[in-house]
Amino acid sequence: MAEVVQSELSCPACGGQRHFDPAAGLLSCDSCGATEDLSSPWDGAAQKEHPVHGNTVPATERPSQSADTADVTHVQCQACGSQLTFVGLSLSERCGYCDGPVVRKDPDPTYAPMALIPFAIAQDAARLAQDQWIASRLFPPRDLPERVAEGTTRALYVPFWTIDAQEATTYWAKKTVRSGKNTRVENISGEQVFTFDDLLMPASPLVTPLIRDGILHEFEPARLRPYTAGYIAGFAAEQHAQTLADGLAANRKDRRLLIRNRIRKKYGWSGVHSITFNTDTSGVHYRRILLPVWITHYTDGRGVASKVVTCGIHGRTYGERPFSRRKVLAASMAVVVATVLFGLIWGAGAAL
Amino acid sequence: MVVSPLPILLCLPLVVISALIGMPMVKKLVQIREARHELKRNSTSYIMGIAGWSVIAFWLMATWFFATILGDWAATDDAAGAIDRSFTRLWVLLQIAAEVAAND
Repeated sequence: MAEVVQSELSCPACGGQRHFDPAAGLLSCDSCGATEDLSSPWDGAAQKEHPVHGNTVPATERPSQSADTADVTHVQCQACGSQLTFVGLSLSERCGYCDGPVVRKDPDPTYAPMALIPFAIAQDAARLAQDQWIASRLFPPRDLPERVAEGTTRALYVPFWTIDAQEATTYWAKKTVRSGKNTRVENISGEQVFTFDDLLMPASPLVTPLIRDGILHEFEPARLRPYTAGYIAGFAAEQHAQTLADGLAANRKDRRLLIRNRIRKKYGWSGVHSITFNTDTSGVHYRRILLPVWITHYTDGRGVASKVVTCGIHGRTYGERPFSRRKVLAASMAVVVATVLFGLIWGAGAAL
Repeated sequence: MVVSPLPILLCLPLVVISALIGMPMVKKLVQIREARHELKRNSTSYIMGIAGWSVIAFWLMATWFFATILGDWAATDDAAGAIDRSFTRLWVLLQIAAEVAAND
């Protein structure tokens, strides 16, 4: 049976259970309301990035146990004695009997979070942000707000990587240049070092790269705090299922797309094509962190499971949404009718 | 001005077919709007979200092009002449399409 952190989470004044209060940013007692500030003089250390030398994965990053998400771990609630089940890489749960926060002790150091950014947005504010996001969608099915309102909202610390890298790039491309009726294709080549700082890579299928880019516009390392049970008390939390090598491989695809984009931008964007490049990656630094999100799972009218996600730091919201076929067809029809009318008048006038 | 009913009637299938083809384009338009307003600027999702906007321009240009032929035909009652006269427009449209594709 795995060990859990629970007695440290109980209130020193009354022995009640405590959870992290996002609005106050403090550990708060459910019984007497006493609060505790979790900040410490060592908080700055959470910003530390860890180097990867060449292609060598650090020894601390070699899994000592499988990251099989089907694994089940049984733990005993120290408050009421009931048995809880942690599924997969879950780090934190609430006891189903006494509702007390239970945090898993000593996760595999290979996957254990190094730091986290605590929740700063409470559930009410997150739901409001999600309602506003849903209300601002174009061409949604009529019942979408009700379906999202019926959905289940969960607070979750989601695993992410932050990755820094320098890419010494040698590239070749072509640029089509038009002047009057003449068109010519120029060959372009060059070398440049592209620097990437704190690229965020989700390590959980719950947050796709699309949702990441919707909810996390800015990442402030100064908000990072060392991983401690107090911050995740009362919230679900998930360990990294990916090894560092997997995280770097997933991030490499992002970096290649960004490099391609930067090359196009450098040459004026228009007409730049057939881009090929080689890169030599160096200076890779990483952090294995947890970021707070509010996720509402709902089922749309076609029975497809979807989610709306709110960043637990700033409240920015993004998600998956269905379209109303009827509304989309009506919009398409309106655009086509306008275009056809314009074409008919143009053709009848025979201006060209 | 001669107004022939056949080309006007042919507008109906043009509108229906183009509207059906246009449904994914409308979705793409919404996705581009969402990407521009809601996704982190210059992130991978933003880049992928706004890429492919040229298909919307191609769809509108194709619809407009066929409508101009029908308009010309309706006005002159000369289908063959309307098609002949459309080649100049087609050439200009292809130039615009090439420019649009290069900027996508």
